[in-house]
Amino acid sequence: MRRFWAGFGIGFLFCTLTLLPPAAAEGPGPQEILERMEKTINGFDDQEMDLRLTIVDVDGSKKSYEFTIWQKGDQKRLIKFTSGEIKGMATLVQDRNNVYVYLPGFKKVRRVAAHNMNQSFAGSDFSNDDMATVSWTKIYTASPGKEEADAWWITATPKPGEQVEYSKVDLKLDKKTGTQQRAVYFNKAGEKVKTFDNTNLTDWNGVPRAKNVVVADPRTGHRTEMEVKSFKVNQGLKDDMFTVRELQWGK
Amino acid sequence: MRKRVDHEVRRRISQTIVALWVFLPVQTWAGEWTEKVKFSGFASGDVRFDIEDYRGLTPGDGYTFSMNRNDLDLRLEIAPADRVNVVIDTRLRYFGFNKADDLVTLPARDRVDPFDVRLDEAFVGVRGFVWKNMDLKVGRMAQQWGAADMFNPTDNLNARDFTDPLDYTAKVPNQMIEIDLYPADWLSLTAVWVPVFKPSQLPASAALGFAVERDRNGCLLRAPVPPLRDRDDAEALSDLFSATDPCALNFANTSVRTVYPDNGLGDSQAALRAKVKAGDLDLSLSYCYGRFTFPIAYDAYADVAPSATRPGTMDVTYAAEVMYPRMQVAGLDMSYSAPWLFDIGFVGEIALIFPEEVVFGLRVPAGGGRFAKGISTVNVPSDPFIKATAGVDYTFTRWLYMNAMYVRGFFDEFNDLYGIHNYVVLTAEMKFFEDELHLRLSGILNADDMSSVVYPQATWVVVPSVELVLGAFVFGGDTSPSDPLDYAAREKFGQKAAGRSVAFLKTKVTW
Repeated sequence: MRRFWAGFGIGFLFCTLTLLPPAAAEGPGPQEILERMEKTINGFDDQEMDLRLTIVDVDGSKKSYEFTIWQKGDQKRLIKFTSGEIKGMATLVQDRNNVYVYLPGFKKVRRVAAHNMNQSFAGSDFSNDDMATVSWTKIYTASPGKEEADAWWITATPKPGEQVEYSKVDLKLDKKTGTQQRAVYFNKAGEKVKTFDNTNLTDWNGVPRAKNVVVADPRTGHRTEMEVKSFKVNQGLKDDMFTVRELQWGK
Repeated sequence: MRKRVDHEVRRRISQTIVALWVFLPVQTWAGEWTEKVKFSGFASGDVRFDIEDYRGLTPGDGYTFSMNRNDLDLRLEIAPADRVNVVIDTRLRYFGFNKADDLVTLPARDRVDPFDVRLDEAFVGVRGFVWKNMDLKVGRMAQQWGAADMFNPTDNLNARDFTDPLDYTAKVPNQMIEIDLYPADWLSLTAVWVPVFKPSQLPASAALGFAVERDRNGCLLRAPVPPLRDRDDAEALSDLFSATDPCALNFANTSVRTVYPDNGLGDSQAALRAKVKAGDLDLSLSYCYGRFTFPIAYDAYADVAPSATRPGTMDVTYAAEVMYPRMQVAGLDMSYSAPWLFDIGFVGEIALIFPEEVVFGLRVPAGGGRFAKGISTVNVPSDPFIKATAGVDYTFTRWLYMNAMYVRGFFDEFNDLYGIHNYVVLTAEMKFFEDELHLRLSGILNADDMSSVVYPQATWVVVPSVELVLGAFVFGGDTSPSDPLDYAAREKFGQKAAGRSVAFLKTKVTW
């Protein structure tokens, strides 16, 4: 039953499929880079994405799920699965502490307890907390990392009091485009637990965003591929859409 | 020649215009309706095998297939206009066992392969009805109230569908009107009116609770015990039967009649609920003016007389009546995640029930000794009583989740002579191989009589949308009451009326 909990949160997806605006001629500071990235991730009134999630086991076997995400600002998010045995399941993220899920099998809306957040999202390499995390700057502060010829590295660490399953995230950002090329996640024991690689930068009606993301667990070789099938911004989504009322409407 | 060409051109132009006139609107209409209609559903199979031979009507029955069911569920969600939503959910169920019992019925496909059709939901919803923060739903639906898993004492508007003992969540849909108000982000109000009462559906095994048990030779083993508070009454009634040779009793005239409320306005049901969100706490207060949807015994007639048709034997007449008493329920439910205690989740529900008093009457005609004039005893007192659920749940690792609940009062308990029992419900869930394999072990223990149910199952998501489930549902406890004269002495899960222990294999394809 608890696979339903896998349905909330998609924060990472947005966070990892984004571009940075062109970098300043003089190298910006790490916090500025993080804030610019935040703007490219959440700098829209609203967003809508259709996605395909493909889970690839170490033996190469694959399974895919499709879902849609609607987002308003940098906090509210609605996720609906449109395929698979979890079709119809929907998750509402009002903020990281207020997550609700609609369970079609029970025809019921339930509040998601915090202890469920570390579970896997639909068996993928994303955790529920990953998916419920919308804003980087509200949770992380940035510190400088190494600099390469065409990319900056910064290290994002959780702000005091923020309950996050990672101790830090190393982010690699392309200097020319600002694209987040790679992210490396470390758990609280300091182990490298997850990597994100963003590819196939695509222009979605003037808004650039990576079309493909590969998330891998370096400990197991397990990986998850995310493909953006469509992406739209600023469609005038109403606040009403991100309420429990909406979640249970028509059910 | 040119004339013929012109004619051909004109013909083609007119064909094109007709085609455009006909097909363009159709395509536009189809395009619009593709956006407006969502189609979903599932097909499933369910095969069960009785894994014991002592819980049937007759000892020795068992080790046979008891279910061979196929379901096809089709659900349509239609949005014919802005702010309007229509839901139609139908189910075609094939039972899988031949019911043709003679040559005359053998040609009938519906006897050889019986089925039924269900309309699980059919309602229309209007958003922003009258006021922008008010929604209206009218039609056939099932309400889901309460915060706890499965055991929701504050959820009383829809009757339960217990025809499948493995599915505690199934309900009998009913026609109703629901109004939801959202005056603030932290507050929502719901009002529901259910014009006509519907009873809960019972499992096939429930009849064993009122059945006369006989051995393989047809001799009386045990007769149903009526709800008599006075033990002397119970003993006297037992003497009526025990005075006769148990192999010389004919039980041709036994029946249990259900008495339903009228369909008047005053017999309808209504409920109100206020949901409040306060930080990490979600809280609901509710009131329900309804009926208990499980039958309560309130009248019986018993007679033992020499048989006119079978000399040397006695004819037993036993007719009982059951009814569905009124009740008022004041409810409170909450869910809370404790950040100060490892984020453990807490749920709680409490229902204070004010029941209609039910007086059980028993009549035995002349020859019935002390029963000759009949007796009456209070089966359900009018005193208020409590049903409740309190639970905690926690996700220990990415693959292990556990849930523990205390439940006071099972679905079918209403403080009659059987009383309100206490239960402990434990569930452990484990997920492996990218959620492809789910192992779930549930158990329910009746803390008063120590009878139990164990429900292990393994679900394999073969590919996305396709599930294969293998499991068992095993009852534990004594099938015989500890005191055959005590109405309350039967074990909750031990008694035969609870059902059979089964192993099952289910398949499901979702779209």
